[in-house]
Amino acid sequence: MKISIIGQPNVGKSSLFTRLTGVGVITSNYPGTTVEFEESAITRGGTRITFRDLPGTYSITGNSDDELVVTKDILSRDADAFLLVVDSTNPEPSLVLAMETLELGVPAIIALNKIDVGNKLFDIDHDALSETLGVPVVPVSAKTGEGIDALADAIVAGSAAVSGHRIRYDSHIEEYLLGLEATLGRTEFSARGIAVKTLEASKPFSGLAPSETVSLAEAYSRIFEESHGESIDVHIARDRFGDAHIVASKAFAKTTRQRTLSEKISDLTTDVMTGIPILIGVLALTFLTFVAVGTFLDELIADAYDAYVGTAIIDYGQANFGTFGAAVFEGIDTSIVTLLGLVVPYIMVFYILLGILEDTGYLPRAVVLLDNAMHRMGLHGGAFIPMLMGLGCNVPAIMGVRTIKSRREKIILSTIIAMAVPCSAQLAIIIGITGRYAGLGMSFAIFAILLALAVVAGAVMDRVMRFEPTNLALELPPLSMPMPRNVLLKMWYRVKDFFVIAAPLLVVGSIAIELLLSYGLLDKLIDPMSFLTVGILGLPAATIVAFIVGIIRKEMAAGMLITLAAAQGLTLATFMTPDQFAVFGLVMAIYIPCLATIAAMWREIGWKETLAVSTLSIIVAIAAGAAMNLALGLF
Amino acid sequence: MATTDNREDYLINILRLSGDGDGVVRTSELSDLMGVSPASVSEMVKTLSEEGLVDYVRYKGATLTERGRELAMKIRRKHHIAERFLTDVMDMDMEDAHQEACRFEHHMSDESADKLCRMIGPKIDDDCAYCTDPCHDAGAMIGDTPLSELEKGGCGRISYLKCEDAEKIKKLISMGFVPGRDVSMVSAVSGNGPRIVKVGDSAIALDKELSSLIYIESAN
Repeated sequence: MKISIIGQPNVGKSSLFTRLTGVGVITSNYPGTTVEFEESAITRGGTRITFRDLPGTYSITGNSDDELVVTKDILSRDADAFLLVVDSTNPEPSLVLAMETLELGVPAIIALNKIDVGNKLFDIDHDALSETLGVPVVPVSAKTGEGIDALADAIVAGSAAVSGHRIRYDSHIEEYLLGLEATLGRTEFSARGIAVKTLEASKPFSGLAPSETVSLAEAYSRIFEESHGESIDVHIARDRFGDAHIVASKAFAKTTRQRTLSEKISDLTTDVMTGIPILIGVLALTFLTFVAVGTFLDELIADAYDAYVGTAIIDYGQANFGTFGAAVFEGIDTSIVTLLGLVVPYIMVFYILLGILEDTGYLPRAVVLLDNAMHRMGLHGGAFIPMLMGLGCNVPAIMGVRTIKSRREKIILSTIIAMAVPCSAQLAIIIGITGRYAGLGMSFAIFAILLALAVVAGAVMDRVMRFEPTNLALELPPLSMPMPRNVLLKMWYRVKDFFVIAAPLLVVGSIAIELLLSYGLLDKLIDPMSFLTVGILGLPAATIVAFIVGIIRKEMAAGMLITLAAAQGLTLATFMTPDQFAVFGLVMAIYIPCLATIAAMWREIGWKETLAVSTLSIIVAIAAGAAMNLALGLF
Repeated sequence: MATTDNREDYLINILRLSGDGDGVVRTSELSDLMGVSPASVSEMVKTLSEEGLVDYVRYKGATLTERGRELAMKIRRKHHIAERFLTDVMDMDMEDAHQEACRFEHHMSDESADKLCRMIGPKIDDDCAYCTDPCHDAGAMIGDTPLSELEKGGCGRISYLKCEDAEKIKKLISMGFVPGRDVSMVSAVSGNGPRIVKVGDSAIALDKELSSLIYIESAN
């Protein structure tokens, strides 16, 4: 049995999917999280049910990417039934989409989500709703788990039904529909539904209608527009909303209530006078928490590793194997140190903080408040979210660029992410290495330089590239308290990817590098490149190896530094001076994105631009590093 | 009021006889059409000329000034709106409706003309080019403000959406900006910045351009 889940953004679709299947989907409070769909199967009462989580859309009439994924799924008739998610805290808009889907005559069940909050706002009569629409309605809360079993049981029992409800349209439109239905042959959908979609000129659906129906519909819409002075699709939407209002008012009685605390706080976050200080406060607090918790855990883990493991792995390798075996063990040790020093303190902490920010519903507010500032950089507020994601890993951030329509903004945003947004591995270098050996003040100086770089790069590209207007239309979900379970689960799904993809690469890469080092193959690079490392940047010549390795993955560069120091019989602390650590951290943060990021950029903005951005990043990194080297030399 | 009505009837008739305003209308033509003496016509034309609504040319006749032409068209538009309302909604026959509309046209406010227009959306089958579509620019008239211009805390009902780009309209409609629904302005981030508005129970941020496509009948 196959069930597709349809719902508007923010109605809790993905959370419901996670509850039903136990499989993690990154749920977030902003649209566009589910670009493709997720699928997962469970077995219940001997029946295997495959759930498909479709992207959240406001309607199924238009031509946006999200809508096309949903319409394609409906048209394929692959699903045995549809699970329509309605938000019980704000029923009208989500009912409109549900009713638009029901109108097509597909079997469906309605999940009345967020019932825990909805019951506080309304006296809800879900039986009345079920009776009006003619499909089962199950109240659930994906947040608390309430009603999930009942919903799964209803699905297994095959209680999904085809709605008998008719949306009442303007009398002219009703006449047109009769006319159109007469010309339609048999389809797998309701004739009325297809007639409505054809009148709305909704391409994917009108494709099912014979050409005579389509041309008749076009004639009708012209007549309607001339005589009503309003286009027919606007009028259909108007009637649909009107009908949803009537349906909702039968089942949802508003209770008199006080404005909740979260609504009062919400007002403060959207008013400019209070919103901007709150935004700065939230970002500063998040950042400082990240640095404080990150460095604390980093040191705790490093000390523990030294105390309990120390050089045991390396010693074992050297004692029992030859050059080759010893190098393998050294590679393993380096990757363990890197993983422990990176994943736990920085990546996990970052994703926990990001999850909290996402689940409070605050991020869309930040997007709106930052819109003006982002315009100066040739972007719009929406670019803030990929930038923030980029602090975890640049790859999904660059992939997030796909949701932006304007090519110019795609390029500007990719450039800023690749050059000026440090990923968690770069953050670990800036905070965990530069910060530890040159002082946290130096870390903050590097962050300030990166921020300035982002602003300058954006402003310059904004001037140089031809303007393309883009629009901002974003729903602001109500603020809510994040659930620790959801935050931790999301963190786990995101970190899991890192373990599955990055960790094995890291181990293999570290071993390969150790081998190259122990056979002295990398040394050949050190001298020819010393004009750059020693001459321009004032760093030890051997750091070129770390920079080269960093092209593959930034985490490996961090581990590499330890290995390089050890190769010269030094500890990390004595390998470079504080000033050198500062220059190293800055150059590492800017120069060439890692291979995975390059690949992602190649896909999103094309190879020429990717090549240009990568080259630019080397030049800017060297220039910034050289300038910092000179500046620090003066004091 | 009778004199005002009379004045306006003269203006409409000059408009009609001049083929929508350009040509010179003879005093005799007017007296024939309206069934009044040439002397009364001359007297009224002089009055209108003093008010700057017509230019009076001795021995030739009268032409409408720009102001006179505008006023005449406005009144004629109201005539057609009233006429259409009476035939389509009140089921009156055309002849009676015309007589009735001749009285309505002088007393109808611009606002109720627009509201009637939106209610019936008439297409007038008449001889004059201007009045084939009397509700054509109803939107630009008083009573409707773009959502972007609404003061903080202000509210109203969506009247219509206006944009060349159908995709933008679709997007707004799908997010719930549908004519007939109530909207209110929560705050504007800055003069040209995004607007945060409430439509139904949903809070939505729109940039200035999108919010200026939504016209509302303001309640305050």
